[in-house]
Amino acid sequence: MQRRIQKLRLALVALALWLASASLASTAPAIELGQPAPAFSAPAVDGSQISLTDYRGKVVFLDFWASWCGPCAQSLPALDGLRGEFPDSEFQVLAVNVDRKREAARTFLRRRPVGYPSALDPSGEIPVRFGVQTMPTSFLIDRDGVVRHVHRGFRPSDVPELRRKIQALLAAGR
Amino acid sequence: MRALRPTLMVCLLLSLGLGGCSVVRPWEREALARSDMAWEPDPLEASLDSHIRFSKEASLSGGTAGGGGCGCN
Repeated sequence: MQRRIQKLRLALVALALWLASASLASTAPAIELGQPAPAFSAPAVDGSQISLTDYRGKVVFLDFWASWCGPCAQSLPALDGLRGEFPDSEFQVLAVNVDRKREAARTFLRRRPVGYPSALDPSGEIPVRFGVQTMPTSFLIDRDGVVRHVHRGFRPSDVPELRRKIQALLAAGR
Repeated sequence: MRALRPTLMVCLLLSLGLGGCSVVRPWEREALARSDMAWEPDPLEASLDSHIRFSKEASLSGGTAGGGGCGCN
């Protein structure tokens, strides 16, 4: 009898611990290099619809940002600069804004306008699919829609490395 | 069954506590990113404050290193 109670007790504690760990360990796995980028379609800031598959055939730099994210205030103008260095027909910067309030994204872009489109995803479904682990995170996607580079965080000193990676992908697809 | 009562209580408390657990994903940290949510909203002022404090408090060591009270900082 005593032994059975002991076993039951252990089982109960194990169950409680398992429940506790299950509720905490529910983060999405990060996307790996060489995997196809998950397709998505979302409304843009200007009201149009943005779909990743529309840009197949171009090298795409996909950036996840938010108005409250400190480094994003630096990364948006820097990415806009990079966009201007390459021909529009071959290279596209796309952004996904993850602000819960769409108006926050619009206000940010009014203050710091950029020439590339931003999709709005207030529910946070797209970053789950990409397994975003820090803000900001960017994905460099080749002409066939395959993720070739993941860039986590942003510092202005990262730009030369990003430029090299974009140049390499543009040269590879020719 | 009576012998199991304390265990049941512990499990109940553990599972009640679970209600307070949640995963905050990176793109959900809007409130946490606010400057008034930082431990030190003003790092410069905080470091000045801590310097004044540890140079006046003889019984306290400095903010990070051991020792203190010698008046040499």
